[in-house]
Order: sequence, then C-alpha cells, then structure tokens
Amino acid sequence: MSIEERLSFIIGEEKELRDILTGEEILPLLERALKVGPLAARLLDQIGTVLWGVGHVETEKVLSVNCPLYLEGEKTGQIVLFGHENRQSELLIIAEFIAGTVNAMIVNNLKRMLTTEIHTTIVNQSYEELAASEAKYRDLAEKLEVKVEQRTSDLKQAHTILLQQEKMAAIGQLAAGVAHEINNPLGFIASNLNSLKKYSERFIEMIALYRQTIGKLSLPRETAVEFDDTWRKLKMDFIIADTEELLIQSLDGCKRVTKIVADLKAFSHIDDGGIVVIDINTELERILNVLSHWIPADAVIQKKFADLPGYPCDAAAVSQVFLNIIQNAIQTRESGLQLDLETIHDRNKIKVIISDNGPGMAPEVVKRIFDPFFTTREVGKGTGMGLATAYETMQSLGGRIEVDSKPGCGSIFIITFPVSEAVNV
Amino acid sequence: MIEFDELEKKMVLKLVYYGPARSGKTTNLLKLHDLLSDEGRGGLMVLDTQDDRTIYFDLLPFFLMAPSGLRIKVKVYTVPGQVRHDATRKAVLQRADGVAFIADSQLTEKVNNSESFDNLEKNLSIVGLNIDKTPLVIQFNKRDLERIIPEPEIKTTWTPTGLPFFLASALEGNGVIETFSGLLGLMYDNIDRQYGLLAKHGLERETFLKKMTTKR
Ligand SMILES: Nc1nc2c(ncn2[C@@H]2O[C@H](COP(=O)(O)OP(=O)(O)O)[C@@H](O)[C@H]2O)c(=O)[nH]1
Ligand SMILES: [Mg+2]
Repeated sequence: MSIEERLSFIIGEEKELRDILTGEEILPLLERALKVGPLAARLLDQIGTVLWGVGHVETEKVLSVNCPLYLEGEKTGQIVLFGHENRQSELLIIAEFIAGTVNAMIVNNLKRMLTTEIHTTIVNQSYEELAASEAKYRDLAEKLEVKVEQRTSDLKQAHTILLQQEKMAAIGQLAAGVAHEINNPLGFIASNLNSLKKYSERFIEMIALYRQTIGKLSLPRETAVEFDDTWRKLKMDFIIADTEELLIQSLDGCKRVTKIVADLKAFSHIDDGGIVVIDINTELERILNVLSHWIPADAVIQKKFADLPGYPCDAAAVSQVFLNIIQNAIQTRESGLQLDLETIHDRNKIKVIISDNGPGMAPEVVKRIFDPFFTTREVGKGTGMGLATAYETMQSLGGRIEVDSKPGCGSIFIITFPVSEAVNV
Repeated sequence: MIEFDELEKKMVLKLVYYGPARSGKTTNLLKLHDLLSDEGRGGLMVLDTQDDRTIYFDLLPFFLMAPSGLRIKVKVYTVPGQVRHDATRKAVLQRADGVAFIADSQLTEKVNNSESFDNLEKNLSIVGLNIDKTPLVIQFNKRDLERIIPEPEIKTTWTPTGLPFFLASALEGNGVIETFSGLLGLMYDNIDRQYGLLAKHGLERETFLKKMTTKR
C-alpha cells in the first residue's frame, strides 16, 4: 500500500465551518445570547446556509445585524442576530461578542484538528515504516536462512573432502601394503629368473655338445633318423633360440614391476608420515611413471624443470594434487595429447604449471571445477572429487590453484606454493 | 498542490520552510506576518510548541483572486527541524509546491545544515517529489551574527547548483520578503506552465508577486 493510499488527510486540506464547529459548542452560545436581548440568532456559512440557529422571528418590527466569521483569514460565514428595532446598538455589541468568541473557537478547533491530522498522518506513516522495517526484518531472516544453508553446505563440503582425503590415505596405505607384499616374491622371481637364464644357457651349451658328438658317431640308421625326427618334431631349434628371448623379456618385466612398485610406494609416502622435505620435480616424474599406463601412446610430454629448493610438506597430499591435475590432463584427449609440465622458482614461491591441449572448459565449468562432485566426465571415470581435494590441500598450505581455460584452447593449471619454509634437500 | 477544483474555481498551494532546528524558519514566518499587509492573508497559526521549538508546524495562509475568478490560496508552512520529528516533516512536505531551505549561517551549524539538506532530498523523494522539478530556494539566515560562513564561500558553493540563494537576518527582517518572493516566483512559473495562470486565468507573474508581498 502506498503512502498516498493510506493517507486520510493531506496537511493543508481545505475545511469549512461545518467541519470545524459543532452544534454542541455553538447552540449553547446562541441560546445564552437570547437571554440578554436578541429574538433569534443564526450562524451562516459562506453561501448563507443556516448551520445553526435558535429563536423565532415573527413580528414585523424586527431588524438584523451581522458579524463576519473568518477561517484562515478568509471570510467564511457570519453571525446574524434578530431583535427589536430599538435595540440595534445593543444587538451589534452582542453579535460582535459572539463572533469574537466563535472566531476564537474556529482558530482553536482548527489548531486541534491540524494537530490531530498530523498525528493521524504520522501514525499512518509510522505504520508504513513499521511495515517496511518488518519486511526488512523478514528479508534479514531469509538472508540468515540462506547463510545457514550456505554454511551447512560448506561444512558438508569440508566433511566430504575430509572423507575423500581419508579415503585417499587409506588407498595409499593399501597400495603401499600391496606393493610391499609384491616386493618379496618379485625379488625371488627376479633372482630365480636370473639363475634360470644362466642354467638354460648351460643346458643349451650341453645339448649342442651332445648333438655335435652324436653327429660324429656312426649310429644305426634308424636311430639317427629317430633323433632327427624328434629334434624337428619338438622344434628344438626354435625353442633354443626362444628360451633366451623369453627369459630376457621376463627379467625385463620383473624390472618394470619392481620400478612401478617402488614408485607407488614412494608416491604414497607411506614410509614418511607427517611433514617431509620433497623435491617437487622428482614427485612430478614419479607421477608420470605411476600414470604411465594411462598416458596415450602418442602423447608428447614436455618437461621444463627449474632447480627447486626442497619443499617441506605433507608429501602424500601434495603428490595427490599433482596426480589429480595430471590425471585430468591426460584424460582430455585420446590422441594427439601434448602435456607440458613446467616448474618455476620465483623468489618466495614455487610454481608448477601443467598445461594440456585438450578441449578446454567453458567459463561456467571453470567456475565449478573445484566443487566436490562436479565432473564433466562420464560416471565411473572420475569421482569429481579430485580437484576439490587438490584445492583444499593447496589452501591449507597457504598456496593456491588457478585455472586458465577457454573452450578450444586447452587448460593451464598453475599451482603456487609459498616457499618461506623452503630448505635445501 | 493541495487542491485544484475547476468547478469551484479554487486552487490551494503549499509552500514549506524547511531547515535544521532553530535556523529561523518560524522567525521568517513571524516577520512575513509582521511586514506584510493584512489584506489577503490570515493570521499566523503557531501550533503547539515546546520551549519555543516547533513540534508540529507553523502556518501562514495567503489568498488572492485571479482575474478569471480563480481563488488561489497559498499556505506557507514551517516544519520542525529536530531530527526526531522526521515523520511530521514528511507529512508537511507532501504535495508541496515549493520549498525554502533556511540554513543557519553560523560556522558551527555547517554540519546541521548539510544533514538537514540531505534529509530534505530524502524526504522529497519519499513523498514522491522530484527535487529537480520542485521550486527550491536557499536562505542563509542570521547574517547579523559573527563567525558565519563568508558570502564568497556561499557563492562558490551554491552558484554552480543553479539554486537561487538569499542572505537574510530574519530577526532584523532583512532578506525575508526577498526569499519569499523568490520562492513565489519559481512556484508561479511552475504552476503557470501546468495550469495556465496567465493564459487561462489572466494572472500575471508581477501581479501575483505584488499581491502576495504587499507591505503594510
Ligand atoms: N541573531 C539571529 N537570531 C535569529 C535569526 N533568526 C532566528 N533567530 C533566532 O534563532 C532562534 C530559533 O529561531 P526559530 O525561528 O524558532 O527557528 P526554527 O526552529 O527554524 O523555527 C530564535 O531564538 C530566534 O530568535 C537571525 O536572523 N539572527
Ligand atoms: Mg520553528
């Protein structure tokens, strides 16, 4: 409701005598007057209408006198008295007296009315304002609700991230445990394979000697044929040639498994609990190794590593950050991937810049990639949790992650570490 | 405008004297009442005051008749200046046809003046009046006192605003009629544009001003 609609008075609205005076005030005054002489008394408005009157005028020998009434300086009515012809001067005095009284009444009543009017107006306005402030209060309460919701979702998010970090830690532990279990059998497999290789070389050497000797002997023909047939049937030429190859390949595989297990263990930092000093370049190399299976065969990886000071941190968490971002980068393209890793040491910060030539991201995606559960990939490939966790980790380190990405232009992730605490490894 | 009744041939206009508490608004009206002729105006109505401070408003009504027979009434109001009477100020300001802002020239009152002017701007917009279209004059009152804002400073501040300003000593009666007349002139121009005071009602600006400001 607007002020205008609620307003019952406009300060300054025009009034008439009938609004200002009442019969209760005027009639007793006029009746009093009759007692001292006049036969009749009237109060007339501007256009001569009788508003109030007392007494009757019947006889012929009657005259009338009148006196003006004023409202805000304007003549707005009059007092008329009727009386005997011979009482004119007396009537005039009485009329003058009554008009004076009524004029004073008009002024006083008007004042009272104006005061009341302004009160009413103010009360109405205060009501307006109260309603407005009530609305404001409601608005505030709503805002508060929104804030509480926001806070709740923040807490939920923090909780989810914590859960995720715990999960990652558990997975890391599991991986490290598995790696450890693999290490032992892997050790004897490798050493046995090495022995086996040596042994087989000896077998082959011995077989060759036997064959040579047998060839020189004059054996019964049947026996000689059987020898040759069996040799061919068993494909001994091929087997002898292939045995070495097989063993070399197996040993090579063993070496690779050993390396992967070592990287996995190092990457999980399972052995160094709490804060350790890491070399960021080494961590990046290691992650490329751990991810080697997922990196497309034709990918071009460029590394431009600066000399970096040792960086004390929760190594497991930091390598998770790299893992998440690099993992995302290598998933941007199935072929033709170009992945650039660069490290920069700049006075009091270390920067790790990871760029890909993938499809890039729209601004509304960029805005949300650090939200938990936000993922652009199909379900199963990513939990959408990685970047949120990475973001959280960097914040807790006093560092940050920035993204520069446009659709069609690839993405650049810049991870900045503050290095006041950097020490030499 | 409070009222315009074409059938009854009546137009009721409202002027408001606005300003900080004790800048001399009531004194302005008192002086107008003293200096101007009784013809065509009513008495000064001073509504209840508290320690000589206006709590409601003061009212000085004027009236005249245009050659066409249109009765024009101009009601001049003051508002209470104290901060706590903001509601009353708003109520009085409603439908105003012009405002005289009475500033206190004393150096100590600068802040009060500017706060009150801000309040005027705010309240004008609250009651739906456009400050750029509402006739407005400024009076720097109490020029008879010492330690007052110097005239050149007033000139440099107010000339760029295009608002007419007047120097006055309401107590001594100087500049009071000039301020009133300045405001009446602006109001005439405004009403004339909308209602054809001259074209339809034959009321000339000069005549209007002269009738409204005839001295005793
Ligand atoms: N010296 C001096 N005092 C003034 C002048 N005008 C008003 N006053 C005084 O300032 C005080 C407040 O004046 P008043 O008209 O009641 O102020 P209002 O609150 O604006 O209505 C009174 O004591 C006046 O006598 C002036 O021009 N010069
Ligand atoms: Mg006052």
